[in-house]
Amino acid sequence: MQILDSFSQFLAAFPQFLGPWQMFNIFWAMLLGIVIGALPGLTATMGVALMTTLTFSMPHQQAIMVLICIYVGAIYGGSRSAILLNIPGTPASAASTLDGYPLARQGKAGRAMGISTSGSWLGTFFGILCVALLTPVLAEVALTFQSYEFFWIALYGIIIAGTLSGGDPLKGYIAGFFGLWISTIGQEQYYNYARFAYGSTDLAGGIGLLPALVGSFGMAEVLMAMRGPAVKAVSSKLDSIIPRIRDVTRYWRTIIRSSVIGVWIGILPGLGEDAAAWSSYAAAKRASKEKEKFGKGSIEGLMAAETGEASSVPGAIIPVLTLAVPGSAPAAVLMAAMMIHDINPGPMLMVTTPQFFYEIVAMLVIADMVKLFYGFVLVRPLLKILLVPRERLMPIVFVFCVVGAYSITSRVFDIYVMLFFGFLGFVLRELKFPMAPMILGLVLGDIFEQNFTRGLVISSGSMMPFFTRPICAVMAVLTFLTVFLSIPGVQEFGKGWLRRLIRRAPA
Amino acid sequence: MTDTEAPGSKPSLLPHEEPLPPRWDLYIAAAFLALGLAIMAGALAMPTFYDRMQQIYTAPGLVPGVYGAIIALLSLWLALRAVARGGAKKPKTEPRKAVEGNSNFRLFLAVLLCMIYCVVLIGRLPFWLATTIFIAGFIVVFEWQAGMAPAVRVKSAAQAVAIGLVTGVSVLLLFEKLFLVRLP
Repeated sequence: MQILDSFSQFLAAFPQFLGPWQMFNIFWAMLLGIVIGALPGLTATMGVALMTTLTFSMPHQQAIMVLICIYVGAIYGGSRSAILLNIPGTPASAASTLDGYPLARQGKAGRAMGISTSGSWLGTFFGILCVALLTPVLAEVALTFQSYEFFWIALYGIIIAGTLSGGDPLKGYIAGFFGLWISTIGQEQYYNYARFAYGSTDLAGGIGLLPALVGSFGMAEVLMAMRGPAVKAVSSKLDSIIPRIRDVTRYWRTIIRSSVIGVWIGILPGLGEDAAAWSSYAAAKRASKEKEKFGKGSIEGLMAAETGEASSVPGAIIPVLTLAVPGSAPAAVLMAAMMIHDINPGPMLMVTTPQFFYEIVAMLVIADMVKLFYGFVLVRPLLKILLVPRERLMPIVFVFCVVGAYSITSRVFDIYVMLFFGFLGFVLRELKFPMAPMILGLVLGDIFEQNFTRGLVISSGSMMPFFTRPICAVMAVLTFLTVFLSIPGVQEFGKGWLRRLIRRAPA
Repeated sequence: MTDTEAPGSKPSLLPHEEPLPPRWDLYIAAAFLALGLAIMAGALAMPTFYDRMQQIYTAPGLVPGVYGAIIALLSLWLALRAVARGGAKKPKTEPRKAVEGNSNFRLFLAVLLCMIYCVVLIGRLPFWLATTIFIAGFIVVFEWQAGMAPAVRVKSAAQAVAIGLVTGVSVLLLFEKLFLVRLP
């Protein structure tokens, strides 16, 4: 009975997105998302951050719908340039170049795009099913959480993002805590004391999350594109782009495996689509009967990468809706957008605004269908857009960064915040700091601080409940273990110790 | 990934994957250690408001102080690791090779033009005009090549002005009139 009720509520969420004006917004947003994803140098996070500010005055359903289309479209669009031009449009589609471009060189660019379209569509669809089924269950569990559990979830999110978002885990942790510290600038919640403001009323108002995100992604990416070498595109001939049913039925195991991996990595805080694509690709290669084809134009490899990255998009939204912890960098911006539109993500969402959950599922379904439509029609026009020189594209992107930073609060100060974070993001990237933990720190700063101080007040300053409650104890062990294992040499020592233990066991 | 790379090789996922030389990490550690200590000093200087709530757990400086301490500890870890990897010794190897095609001059120009747009043009000129000047200037500067024929140069400049004008006016119409977004 409850399932029927849920299903009817889900169906009831659709009509509000199917009006002519709404459909117009959906189609342009998806097209823009695909173009942003396809253009090297522009990422999904930047696209969602920019459009969050530019859709600020829209009704909240419309604004979130546009952002979801941008997110879904950008992750899909990256594979177009990966296959056709051998350039990953976003970091998420780097794995798609391995087999996508060799396929294109063999004169199968259309087939490769058909695989990309079908894999991406199926991956997102599987992810949507997981959102629909897992979110209510996880939200139910999360309702039992108190400040102590939320403290650990926020901390674990930053630690796992630091460990696994690529590169040096230690720098990931520093970036995460740096982001957390930035979130403390401005008036705090108990006494309205302006921290680190030094008499500046602008700083006392705090660092706006979106200007900071637009700067560290939008402007930093403009600077990186202008500094780096010009991208050399290698164009390919096109055959039919219609997906082949046989490609799907033959590799159904790969599709299911990659979808599950993608959703799981999506749920883990801060990891995102690139990790999902690489993990799915690696798992497919390990399990494949055609290992030798990987890297030389394997249909299975491309299918795995595309399905994995696409299924991680809905996966990354699940912890946003249930725990207010984003699963990826674009999902972090999406969560910030929800907060701006007075939707409070987290366990209370299913209690206070359950219809929003059904709306999100409906939005994802519509976005997936529109993505499929563009998969069939948008090939040749996109090729022309992809070849626009950066000298002409990047100043336009920067104008959007400025407008985006200013538009939310109409403070010129926010333009300077965007500039500052643009430089900072550029410098930190050059110094090999991953950006995902810093974003998570910025977004989770309030949750972390509120729950930490509230927990201390409730326990009269005792740290014991942070370690003795069952879920807290597990989270604490996981967090410390994650940090401990990232120390160089510890993993090797652990593996050697385990090996010795196993050898001794039979004796 | 360019076409010169073998199709089977794994392209670099993100730019931060290749490690920096240990000496650089030592400098970074020093900068973050200074930041962490400065945050702790700033946090300690904040009032605790103990007289109001009779407890210190809501003191404004508590959480930033903890962050400062953790940043300082992590920086020490980074510094020790850099020293263990030979960061304190004089580097024997040649200086780091610049990535092929990277240009600090182009970076400097881009930063300068962005700063001029944000600090000088915006607020002093109408938004559409400031945007037109910025975009046209940006394109002209970056497309400028020595030895270009005057006719090509004029054509490039005319296209730059046209792109700037179209962007400035369309952003104004699209966002201010249609999406009701306030512009600077």
